[in-house]
Amino acid sequence: MKLQPTLHRAWPVAAGLASFAVATALLFGHSTPSIPGFFWMLAKGAFGDGYAISETLVKATPTLWCALAVAVPAQLGLISVGAEGQMYAGAIAGGALVLFGPRESAWVLIPAMLACGAAGGAAWGAIAGWLRARFGITEIVVTMLQNFIAINVLEYLIHGPWMAPNSGNWPQTADFPAAVTLPPIVSGMRTHVGLFGGVAAALVLWFAVRRTKWGLAVRVLTGNPRVASQAGLSHFAYIVGAMAIGGALAGLGGICEASAIQGRLESTFLQGYGLSGYLVSWLAGHDFRWIVPISILMGAILTSADTLQLGAGLPASSAMILQGVLFACIVGWTSFAKRIR
Amino acid sequence: MAFALCGEILGERAGIVNIGIEGQMLAGAAAGFGVAVSTGNPWLGLLAGAAAGMTLSLVHGVLCLVCRANQIVSGIAVLAIGAGCSSYFGSPYVGRQVSGFAPLSVPGMPAAVAGVLRSVSPTMVIGIIVPLAFGAALYTTRWGLRWRAVGESPSAARVLGINPTHYRWAAILLGGLLSGIGGAALSVDYAKGWSEGMTAGRGLVALGLVVMTRWNPLFTTPVAMIFGAAESLSLSAQSWGINVSPYLLSLFPYMAPLIVLALHARFSRRRGQMPASLADILTIGT
Repeated sequence: MKLQPTLHRAWPVAAGLASFAVATALLFGHSTPSIPGFFWMLAKGAFGDGYAISETLVKATPTLWCALAVAVPAQLGLISVGAEGQMYAGAIAGGALVLFGPRESAWVLIPAMLACGAAGGAAWGAIAGWLRARFGITEIVVTMLQNFIAINVLEYLIHGPWMAPNSGNWPQTADFPAAVTLPPIVSGMRTHVGLFGGVAAALVLWFAVRRTKWGLAVRVLTGNPRVASQAGLSHFAYIVGAMAIGGALAGLGGICEASAIQGRLESTFLQGYGLSGYLVSWLAGHDFRWIVPISILMGAILTSADTLQLGAGLPASSAMILQGVLFACIVGWTSFAKRIR
Repeated sequence: MAFALCGEILGERAGIVNIGIEGQMLAGAAAGFGVAVSTGNPWLGLLAGAAAGMTLSLVHGVLCLVCRANQIVSGIAVLAIGAGCSSYFGSPYVGRQVSGFAPLSVPGMPAAVAGVLRSVSPTMVIGIIVPLAFGAALYTTRWGLRWRAVGESPSAARVLGINPTHYRWAAILLGGLLSGIGGAALSVDYAKGWSEGMTAGRGLVALGLVVMTRWNPLFTTPVAMIFGAAESLSLSAQSWGINVSPYLLSLFPYMAPLIVLALHARFSRRRGQMPASLADILTIGT
């Protein structure tokens, strides 16, 4: 008897994954000699050896932060599609401190850089929250437009005032000082402590939603707005707050990536993570516990898409198609299962 | 832009939100340009764009109407698929060019008229006529009344013997068709070239500006011109000798809709004229 509810939840996901596999094979199978070999290549690209696993985790880290940035507003029923812009905002704010701030020791600089990154992302997210709470403008459109704005601001900076003098007109900033590079988890690999930060943040958020008065307030606000207003809960404050916290998380992800992986700011270095993050958060049902493992799976998909690019000569956009198709398959089957139940 | 906006208005009037228009526009732009290059015929390009947009809207339709998925989530999936596929299949065409449409001409017309017509492309004319036609249809025909009824209250419509699912399928497909044409018009006629992500958020801006039109197709052209004006302002500012980075100027088309929306919300009744069945989808939590 106990199995049945699990089965009810599991079969749509299984069906979704199966359709995903079929769709992938149809789309990309023609470029490889055999279909099983194609999937084997995908798996090997993501988990084949220590380096592949490390790369999977590298890609999972910003995805994880973005997914958290989506899941926090989602607790209030808000749909934020702006994690990517918030990441850029965080990276720009943190980068400003590192590039133009005082030279201090790592013990001062790294926390200050992270704080700036979080603040930048939070401010960016709060704008959308404010527009939503004050004017009722849908946050979906605002966050998407903000993505374009953030990307263009970064382009302006790296093509203009922040361009490194010795870069030969290549659009990027000067390298960050070595003191602010986040240390790797295993030396020699690119996986960095930002991953631990993301996992810790997920645990804290899970606790906050389940066990604190804020979590309770959020449930009251979404469950019964009338009770919420009688209890004196401010919708305005919670909407702006949730968007700001989400933004801060994405901003942290952005500055972590800039510091640990790129070591500078450059063009479109965070491209695609906003979408992956949204997808992960949605697949996890905006549940903070599930976000961590699903982010790692998403990291695997992204890494194996890179392998495809090298191995089968497929363009980088394959990753986006893969994600969109995966999303559509799982959305379709889970909703269908709900409908026929 | 006008096409996409009109498509989204019609969709929302039938209770369908389509976040994926950006993806449909991109797919339309890539497919339209590909066909226009290989056949040399811009009209076939527009057709191909329409077909590509419609194909993507099939995904949205299956997810929303057959599976009853959340429309927003489905739209994001469509957006990703459209954007990914357009750059995947469009990559061979980067850097190619098409000649676009021949200028409109009527034999024996006076030179002054010809001069005006030369600066007007056929897609602009269609883009102005289509919303007017759909606007007239929406407000004066039986078909339009039913369409609006489905958007206001699908259950009431069902009681009256209208099948809301049929109308919503039509709305989704029509939206995809119009977005696809919009994308193709952009690549074949306006830019005369294809580059990755070339719609640059026009679909999203359209989505935001629907509020401004108060869901009335007749206001499509004036509202679309807000974005057009913002864009051409940022382009021509350079030619006026204003020395500002092009990247800063390119912010303007995205900021303008946000500011306009905020002002609009400030000075008008909240959610004026929004089709009632949309409220369930868009206004969670307030």
